[in-house]
Amino acid sequence: MNVLPVARLDLKRLFVRPFAWALGAIALGLLAWLFLLDLNAFLAAQPKLAAAPEANLGYTDLVAAPHLLTFVQLSLLLAPLITMHAIAGERRAHTLPLLFAAGLSPARIVLEKFLASLVFLWLLLILAALIPLSLAHATSPDWGQFCAALLGSALCVAALSAIGIACSAFVSHPALAAMAALLIALVLGILDAGSRMTGAHAGWLDYLALSTHITPFMHGLVRSVDVIYFLLLIVLPLSFAARRLAAEKVRG
Amino acid sequence: MPPSSILQLEHVGRRLAGREVVRDVTFNVARGEVLGLLGVNGAGKSTTLAMIAGVLAPDAGAVKLNGLILHEHLATARTCIGYLPENVPLWPELTVREYLDACGRLHRMDRAARKRAIDRELLRLDLSGMANRLSGQLSLGQKRRLGLAQALLHDPELLVLDEPGNGLDPVQTAQLRELIQGLSDTRATIISTHVLSEVEAMCDRVVILHEGRVRFDAQLAADRGALDRAFLAIARDKTEIAA
Repeated sequence: MNVLPVARLDLKRLFVRPFAWALGAIALGLLAWLFLLDLNAFLAAQPKLAAAPEANLGYTDLVAAPHLLTFVQLSLLLAPLITMHAIAGERRAHTLPLLFAAGLSPARIVLEKFLASLVFLWLLLILAALIPLSLAHATSPDWGQFCAALLGSALCVAALSAIGIACSAFVSHPALAAMAALLIALVLGILDAGSRMTGAHAGWLDYLALSTHITPFMHGLVRSVDVIYFLLLIVLPLSFAARRLAAEKVRG
Repeated sequence: MPPSSILQLEHVGRRLAGREVVRDVTFNVARGEVLGLLGVNGAGKSTTLAMIAGVLAPDAGAVKLNGLILHEHLATARTCIGYLPENVPLWPELTVREYLDACGRLHRMDRAARKRAIDRELLRLDLSGMANRLSGQLSLGQKRRLGLAQALLHDPELLVLDEPGNGLDPVQTAQLRELIQGLSDTRATIISTHVLSEVEAMCDRVVILHEGRVRFDAQLAADRGALDRAFLAIARDKTEIAA
């Protein structure tokens, strides 16, 4: 069976390139180091936490969920770097006509490429999540909160990956695609910085900001408004990418 | 339709970016025939080939493969067409064997069929010795041969080659000609080029496209002088337009 040939091909190409491995290793190394720092701070704060039991802060609040949030922040850079070759790279290698001639529709090409990047990034997310879980037997994690944080991280990474794929479809050079995706992700990340600093409500700017929607997940809250936000952030860039690729196919 | 025709183009037209790039193009290609599609840059060759390969759909007329309208039977048509675009499509980080395996997957070949086909094409195109080399590290001639191998992998009835001799040195060009002639016995072959000598060396028949229309369609053996006259007429047209 030849299921998802483009996704399999992209995964194979990702795994034979040392770039992806190096990127993954650096990200996980950095996460492990930051986890140890967080853990150290958590252990040091034990007397204070014991003195204020009403705060109800535990390992998941102070170590595991922030650890996943750090992964999301790292993904602002990881996702553009992983997805930059997705379509811009095919264009440079002149392989798009080969995919079109094989009867693959632009939408299917975009979806399979998204899937491939998602498999890689979610694999990294699972490995990142295993770091705080390695202490699960010695602590008492809030599994509900941890699963919500994991779900939020997975959705946010998928959205960043979709933005990367779209940038790769619109830009001719992979490096430019990575920069464009990074810029969009950073803008989405800091849109509400002003309101956060001043404490004022910034309306739709707050709604568009990533942090508005990822924070509730980190606190164990799965809200439909946040899920819809991330789904929109996945569907819209992917449909733009498919339209761009369809136009390219028609132009020949 | 002649009985041995594999491909028929019937009054095919195509607009790109508001411009009529291909207009009312009609010709057939028979099994065992090597057809040269000639024309100056911008004549509509690559667009015509893209329609034949199923990459583009025509705006007018029909492209028929074995009597079936190609764009209505794309799944069947794909198994009958081998396409080598103008720039050899390669994933440079894959080895020659991995690349062909990926192409076989795109053609929905099962594992056993892929293995048989890859071994066959590596042997036929003299690439066996470099099966484990990265495709990005091959010379231009080897890349062209690899591109041809991917086009032949699913043993198509119709081979569509866009500028296959581009960038090759004289020795590689001679090898490519020999190869294409050897392949043409059992299938129909269409070669797009703007090099007259390539056509004379490889093709049985020539179709000249100019400004999207067929300006010349004849067997090469019948009158070689006619080809020169057709090109001179095109050159005169261009001069008159310029004047």
